[in-house]
Amino acid sequence: MTELRRADVAIVGAGPAGMAAAVRLAEAGLRPVVFDLNATPGGQVYRQLGDPQVDAVVMGEDYLRGRTLVETFTRADIDYRPLSRVWWLGRESTGYALGVITQQGAQSWHVDRLILASGAMERGWPFSGWQLPGVMTAGAAQILLKQGALVPCTSAVLAGSGPLLYLLAWQYLRAGQPPALVLDLAPESGYRALLRQPLNAWRGRGYLLKGLRMVAALRRAGIPVLQGVDGLQAEGENAVERVRYRHRGSWKTLPASLLLTHFGVVPEPQLARSLNLPHGWETGQQSFLPSRSETLAADERLWIAGDGGGIGGALNAEREGCLAALDVLASLDIETPDALGWERQALQHARHRDLEARRLLETLFRLPVDWLDLQPEDTLICRCESVSRGEVEHAIAQGAAGPNQLKAFTRCGMGPCQGRQCGESIARLLARRTSQPLDTIGYYHIRPPVHSVTLGELASQQDT
Amino acid sequence: MRQDFLIVGGGVVGMATAYGLARAGQRVTVLDESDDALRASRGNAGLTWVQGKGVGMPRYAELSLDAVQAWPAFAEELQARTGVDLQYEQRGGVDLCLDADEAATRQAEYRTLQQVSPRLAREFEWQYLRRDALTEHLPGLGERVHGGTWSPHDGHCNPLYLLRALYAASLALGVTLQPATPVSSVARREGRFVATTPKGAVEAERIVIAAGLGARKLAPMLGLSGEVRPLRGQIIVTERLPLIAQLPTPQVRQTASGGYLIGDTHEDAGFDKSVTPDMMHALAAKAVRIFPRLARARLVRAWGALRVMTPDGNPLYEASTTCPGAYNVNCHSGITLAAFHAGELAQAILDDRLARDFPQFSGERFDVPA
Amino acid sequence: MFRRSERACQAARQVQVRVDGVTMSVPDTLSVAAAVLQVHGWQGYRRHHDGSSRAPLCLMGVCHECLITIDGQPNRQGCLVPVAEGMHIERQGGERHD
Repeated sequence: MTELRRADVAIVGAGPAGMAAAVRLAEAGLRPVVFDLNATPGGQVYRQLGDPQVDAVVMGEDYLRGRTLVETFTRADIDYRPLSRVWWLGRESTGYALGVITQQGAQSWHVDRLILASGAMERGWPFSGWQLPGVMTAGAAQILLKQGALVPCTSAVLAGSGPLLYLLAWQYLRAGQPPALVLDLAPESGYRALLRQPLNAWRGRGYLLKGLRMVAALRRAGIPVLQGVDGLQAEGENAVERVRYRHRGSWKTLPASLLLTHFGVVPEPQLARSLNLPHGWETGQQSFLPSRSETLAADERLWIAGDGGGIGGALNAEREGCLAALDVLASLDIETPDALGWERQALQHARHRDLEARRLLETLFRLPVDWLDLQPEDTLICRCESVSRGEVEHAIAQGAAGPNQLKAFTRCGMGPCQGRQCGESIARLLARRTSQPLDTIGYYHIRPPVHSVTLGELASQQDT
Repeated sequence: MRQDFLIVGGGVVGMATAYGLARAGQRVTVLDESDDALRASRGNAGLTWVQGKGVGMPRYAELSLDAVQAWPAFAEELQARTGVDLQYEQRGGVDLCLDADEAATRQAEYRTLQQVSPRLAREFEWQYLRRDALTEHLPGLGERVHGGTWSPHDGHCNPLYLLRALYAASLALGVTLQPATPVSSVARREGRFVATTPKGAVEAERIVIAAGLGARKLAPMLGLSGEVRPLRGQIIVTERLPLIAQLPTPQVRQTASGGYLIGDTHEDAGFDKSVTPDMMHALAAKAVRIFPRLARARLVRAWGALRVMTPDGNPLYEASTTCPGAYNVNCHSGITLAAFHAGELAQAILDDRLARDFPQFSGERFDVPA
Repeated sequence: MFRRSERACQAARQVQVRVDGVTMSVPDTLSVAAAVLQVHGWQGYRRHHDGSSRAPLCLMGVCHECLITIDGQPNRQGCLVPVAEGMHIERQGGERHD
């Protein structure tokens, strides 16, 4: 019989939310267990910050801001388990059961309380040729920078919509490898809407100024920044050879071998979805979000903190991690309600202010809802199973009325990424074709394994 | 427009029946539940299988034999109509026995079946093969497998593509498909049948309840049997692996896309169709016992589904005596029987001779004398 | 291909790994996928089951495009495994590797 391990509180993810939650719980005398996919704490945003390879000159101040948190987390008495994949999650009457794959093999855990802080991912946003080697996400490019100060040997084309696009362009400029071209696919209506929403613009002035400074720096360095681009294609035989884009109504072609794209980030959905938690489509973020209470609880013994619950950025994630920890402490009667109340109020206040500021970004970088309709029929929707838009539409015409029927009919979402890359596109296509709201369409039914696990690892857990 | 038939249930049983009726020129409407309904049709292993069927009811084994004999033409016809490749193969199959006890029990069952049915004695071909003899059919079979029963009748298909083809073919024949239209009640009114749904009432001259577990509620409203209960099965699937020439087994089979489909659990879990780690561990251990090479294979998907089981495990085909024109079609082997449902069964419903031709399958057999 | 920027804030500690049988020195902070992108780039990274060429997309454990053979185990997520001294890495770029 395999050993069942136990913990009072488990946290999944060691990004800003997970670290902050763990630190706050440790301050109160608990010793949470933290499972994280990565080898070092920090998540995506503060990756490698315990042993940085690039400094603020290249990365900007925001990266270095996480240093204190990483150091505090590293020093605190926390059962931190890097390189651990939570592949299975189950609700039990007294908490949650977790299946975890570690470097030492498979483990089974029971925890009384659970904080999901599994963060965000780059939105899967199909365009023709996006499966070609040489197309990578801006997030991936940043990971290479943080992990090993890696920059491309070639001048990359950057394309997409969102602040990360400009941040990466600016970082590449600072790192001595300026991009060849920045293609801004944010609809120009977003910039016009800004003028109509002066309050949102004022609340988001911090983001706005940061963005304007970066764009100005790029322009000074002579990097062309094209706004109002509304079409994108990557072309090539076995890798990207050309980037095509549509600007002011006409297609242009540019020889390039590396195209870095960014179409915003969305919550990494698998763990929350695997628990069948209710989700709703949030029009501002253009994403499905899990339902949470004001205290970030998703049910009695479960909290979702950070970008996994809705995109708010690193500082907000840190606050949400603290807030979730405070609610855990309150549920355990460990600290007095008064003391917790003050702390909670301050955090809630800051959180609301921050989230309001983000509305500006949501307005500016709104993605066009008809994007998929405009892509060529052979554009892959599901990369893993190589299912094209045309095949998806054909299956819808043959009676596939929902995401799960569509999955059954075409194998979309059945590959190793388990629908992470195509789930949103499938829901969007169905919503368009059947003229129904996204909340009615819903999403794939996500079941374990949330991360890949070998049969041998599973078999080793068999009670004998 | 006047509808001849209303089919309640858009699973593989309802769709095969709908397709059969539409092909015979009937105007058919299918009412289906929402995308996340129970749906045994999307949770099964895809076997077209005779072995193990009809123990205690030889007529069911005979039906299964009829069905697998009809399958090649059925698959060909559906593929020709829709362009959907069902990935159907009938090269025989093996039902594995992990130990000597299982082997003895299995062989005794098959012999009994053949003693009571002259047709099965004649036509049901099978053979018990020890592990060494099986490796020809199942390369890499583990040492800790005793053997298995081989039968040439057995085969497999992609059950999801079967469902898709039935949808596409039915649509092309003019069947009206109404997804996300759960039926809350059915009734006979002025000689016609009315189904009540959130989108309004739907009417037809006759009605077929093919609602799987939904029949528990709906079938009795028309004097039909709702005697079905859920029996959970869990299945795990590996990543794509190189295709090897080998026969399918109910325990594990390699699909056309290369993944291994593992699972033959039978659990009483009520209406809970979730997957459980204990079962996944057990399935993985069993798969590795059968094919040790699978220890390194990665699991990419897992699911639980609810089989639709009658008290004796045999299909339920019946015509209502209190509401003539209402029929009940329910079983847990909708893939194997699809060819039969689309063919002979649909024709029997159309001709209203279900009670005459298939009396053994009526729900009356579950009536306990008071 | 990717290279280490001259603006890196410290010298990299190196480990030796074998990539497709050839011993190479790479920074010890890299994941397997990052190391392969540094020494070989995205060309020839992996062949997909449909025959197409594929390479890492997200590097954060989501897309599963970085599947690679590590110490004899195929289809590992290269972006989630840190390089280690003596590690054997084989790209799945040649024959069809389902």
